Amino acid sequence: MSQKNTNPTIDYTLILIIITLAIISIFTLFTLDPYLKQSYSQTFYIQQLVWYIGGSILIVFIMLVDYDRLRQISWLLYGVGMVMLILLFFHLPPGIAIKVNGAWGWFSFPVIGTLQPAEFMKIFLIVFLAHLIVAHNEKYPDHTIKLDLWLLTKIAVFSLPPIFFIGNQPDLGGVLVLTAITACLILISGIKWRIIFSLVLMAILGVIMVVFLYISFPEQVDTFVEATGFDHVESRFQGWLSTEEFGQSGGYQLIRAMLAIGSGQLNGKGIGQVEIAQTIPHYHTDMIFTAIAESFGFFGTSFVITIYFLLIYRLIHIALQSNDPFGSYIVTGIVGMFTFQVFQNIGMSIKLLPITGLPLPFISYGGSSTLTYLIAIGIVLNIHYRTKTYMFESDK
Amino acid sequence: MLDQKKKKKKKKRLQLPLRLNILFIFVFGLFSLLVIQLGVVQIINGEEAQQKINQTENTPSEKPVPRGKIYDRNLDVVLDNEAVKSITYTPPKNGDSAANRLKLAEKLAEFVMIIKDEEELKDEINERDKKEYWYLKNTKDALDKLTEEDRKELTTGEQYQTVLDRITEQELTTISWNVELLNVLAIKKELDQAFELSPHVIVNEGITDEEYAQVSEHLLELSGIDAVIDWERKKMFGTTFNSYIGGISDSEEGIPRENSDYYLANGYTWNDRVGKSGLEKQYENILRGRKEKIQFTTDTKGNVIGSEVVVEGQRGKDLILTLDMQLQQAVDEIVEEELKKAMNSVNNNGYLQDALVAMMDPQTGDVLALSAVRYDREDKTYSDNSYRVIYDAHEPGSTVKGATVLTGYETGAIDIGTRFSDKAIQIANDPPKKSYRFLGYSLSEVDALEMSSNVYMFRTALKISGATYIEGENLRNFNNDAFGIMRKHFSEFGLGVETGIDLPFEATGVRGGDPVAGNLLDLAIGQYDTYTTLQLAQYVSTIANDGYRVKPHLVKEIREPGNEENKLGPVLKQNTPEVLNRVSMDDRYIDRVQLGFERVFTGGTARSNWSGFEYDVAGKTGTAEKPKFDESGNQIAKTENLSLIGYSPVENPEVAFAIIVPENGTGDQYAVHHEIGKRIISKYYELKKNRIED
Repeated sequence: MSQKNTNPTIDYTLILIIITLAIISIFTLFTLDPYLKQSYSQTFYIQQLVWYIGGSILIVFIMLVDYDRLRQISWLLYGVGMVMLILLFFHLPPGIAIKVNGAWGWFSFPVIGTLQPAEFMKIFLIVFLAHLIVAHNEKYPDHTIKLDLWLLTKIAVFSLPPIFFIGNQPDLGGVLVLTAITACLILISGIKWRIIFSLVLMAILGVIMVVFLYISFPEQVDTFVEATGFDHVESRFQGWLSTEEFGQSGGYQLIRAMLAIGSGQLNGKGIGQVEIAQTIPHYHTDMIFTAIAESFGFFGTSFVITIYFLLIYRLIHIALQSNDPFGSYIVTGIVGMFTFQVFQNIGMSIKLLPITGLPLPFISYGGSSTLTYLIAIGIVLNIHYRTKTYMFESDK
Repeated sequence: MLDQKKKKKKKKRLQLPLRLNILFIFVFGLFSLLVIQLGVVQIINGEEAQQKINQTENTPSEKPVPRGKIYDRNLDVVLDNEAVKSITYTPPKNGDSAANRLKLAEKLAEFVMIIKDEEELKDEINERDKKEYWYLKNTKDALDKLTEEDRKELTTGEQYQTVLDRITEQELTTISWNVELLNVLAIKKELDQAFELSPHVIVNEGITDEEYAQVSEHLLELSGIDAVIDWERKKMFGTTFNSYIGGISDSEEGIPRENSDYYLANGYTWNDRVGKSGLEKQYENILRGRKEKIQFTTDTKGNVIGSEVVVEGQRGKDLILTLDMQLQQAVDEIVEEELKKAMNSVNNNGYLQDALVAMMDPQTGDVLALSAVRYDREDKTYSDNSYRVIYDAHEPGSTVKGATVLTGYETGAIDIGTRFSDKAIQIANDPPKKSYRFLGYSLSEVDALEMSSNVYMFRTALKISGATYIEGENLRNFNNDAFGIMRKHFSEFGLGVETGIDLPFEATGVRGGDPVAGNLLDLAIGQYDTYTTLQLAQYVSTIANDGYRVKPHLVKEIREPGNEENKLGPVLKQNTPEVLNRVSMDDRYIDRVQLGFERVFTGGTARSNWSGFEYDVAGKTGTAEKPKFDESGNQIAKTENLSLIGYSPVENPEVAFAIIVPENGTGDQYAVHHEIGKRIISKYYELKKNRIED
């Protein structure tokens, strides 16, 4: 039907977007350096640069191999991810599994540094679910209610265990990201609309029920969440809903964040002017957006959001272009991951959503997260590189 | 961006782009939401946020509230608060001028006399203070004392000093230095010492209620001055149970620096007082309360023109302990008296120094008393060291035999009624390992507990290890895993693991590290691993409680603060018994050990000491050899750890106890552990009876 275009192409637009985000990240960390120096001995912007260079080298390696190979090792990746999470669940190996900010979510290796398996699990889950859906659709090309439910069950069986283990660390942010990824993949897996609608309806009903229970029986809910170990989740929600009253516990970060972001106003206070943001814990990692907002104002924040929007736009474009479903699914999973993290991270600091621990992709300081996102970009570049375009496409 | 209109032959082909576009529109919606909300926060409310920062950042806005109180199970107050009133001064950013400080001092002096004693006040104010006052009052004359040259050559500081030097006695006498004025100067001296933006206490001790009220009423005219109430902890039972109640930091010390991120993220400030140890630390979140937050409205010059309570303060919640402080005090006394008696007997051969007791309700895990007394040989004093009950671990000796028998059952090494001879164990040419005397050729496991047979336990341990024992020969097929197996089963009783008590720290004892057969035999009779007194109490409770290991706890209830003084608020949370695990064995096996424990007191090793005792008790005695060595490894003395565990009554037990008195001299000992045991059980029932009668 067509003639194959044999010239693979590298997507320079995507690379340019990532370089812009890298510059924003390193520059922001550079302006925060004088404040960070008061409590840390590391120089974060240099370290972040090192992570970016390391990640870029990884991308080059990823480009060498056809991403289709990922299908063969998707089980292996998923397995490795799960083993790491299970080890953390049992706080093993002693001395290497460590607790940071109350969550058992890190391995600390001598010399190499710390590693956060939940970050890598995001990619592993995307690849694995993409493979799962493709394999299903190849085997059963038709979508009947019964087959769709079977596919849904498979997706649930493999995405719930990592969600459970990460939730147990506890890392609410990680749970939500994995949920967002799974939701995106369910959307595009071809499952019938009526099933998807009923899922959405059930989720909405669930939320309404929880809110109703909390309003009508606050004490019982209190005891229940305490008994089930979800009190930190509750305190985040309380901080979000009634910020002033819970100013001492969950709401403190939010009050400071709103003040920092708000006082940036239209133009910002100027480079490195972060008098409020520097009093917020984690202002170089999860809460870095507050620092950007305070120094660069609304212009700065909308610029950052625009860049993210371009990134998502580009990713969806690549997903559409790819004529291999496996590639499209992976890119969609990555879209889900980025969209959710950006929305959640920024949303939580402006009172759209409760506070959870999630890095702002590419901008927050962090080795495991930055590497994970660069690996994701490497896979996307690979998918684009190997997309076959047809000169006389009958489809278009 | 993406054209969707075309009809496709294959529906499947179409649906992926369609759904991706829906996803894209969704993302677009989310991002628009972000931008809109950012617009609201930064553009519409931005100015307000900035004003809020300007307004609230530099004004003191939080008032401390008292921490929660602690009561014992009879609702007697154990830990109370005492209000300490004080007047503080918080200078504005970059400080205030000397003239303004003087004005403030004059105003404040109308309401407060900071040094009540006249002589003391006179001593406080020296000549330099007076000269500085004269300078401020006669600035023009003072500056005339400088020549043109002085002004050119000297720095500002030197000029000031020169002026002060040139003020004559004569000039000072123009002012009448009455008490009121001296008071002003004393206040100003305090104001001078304050740093910008941090509250400095001007006066706290000796301030009268009237003065405090006066200052509180006039706070609006006194900028930077605040009348605050700080709270001191007041221990109503003195040092009793002190180490478990724990302490809090003072305001200079503030929050622990090594964990400051955690505290700051939870809304503490650097100077906040937090629990540092014991229950104060464990229940910090409950005891701390919510600070009252006051928003001061200030004009551009920084004068306070109004205030509004943003968040109502709430006193910390109260804790009700499981403990009866009367019993705790009585047990402390008993332990000290008995240790004293032991010190004057053969028990004291130069090493005896401690006696430790833990008492709990075996069914609920309510801790009833934790007591330890130590004799200090250098100071020749006895002191309350009750923390040792959870910190210090000792070899308990035969008291662990109940666990050994149950481990034997569980591993299949023995069964109900298995009989062994008490003939000494002889491995190769090692010294024979025997019981304290030969107890007979055929002992059941119940007999073995009753008479405390070591050999029975050795044989059980050997069977667990799978070794073949032939008298006088080396063991064959001894399996090192036996250590792990025995410790795993022991841990089902709480031996060697955390008991789970609600305290920030507890020790778990020390495991011996040399896995040879002889040590396994010692482990089986409690002469190898060490355990804390609390672990032993949990162990005997588990047996008393038919195999359910409950978590010991010190806090029974958490209550909302009461509205009125000395009135308790409603119950917020009740600590229900928490079962950590159930020993994985049938009741009939546990019944056998309970029978053995009962016979220890009716016919066995504890009979002579407990005959004629009013209440029925079951339990187990123990003696562990603890030879003392000098630096080069030569044995220099023999000592013994004496231990006793038990519960009462035998049916449906309500109190369990563990007693260890380490390092007694050998020979005709004073049975200090039995004496303590009898007295604490009598005391327990006596207090119980009194309470019922009341």
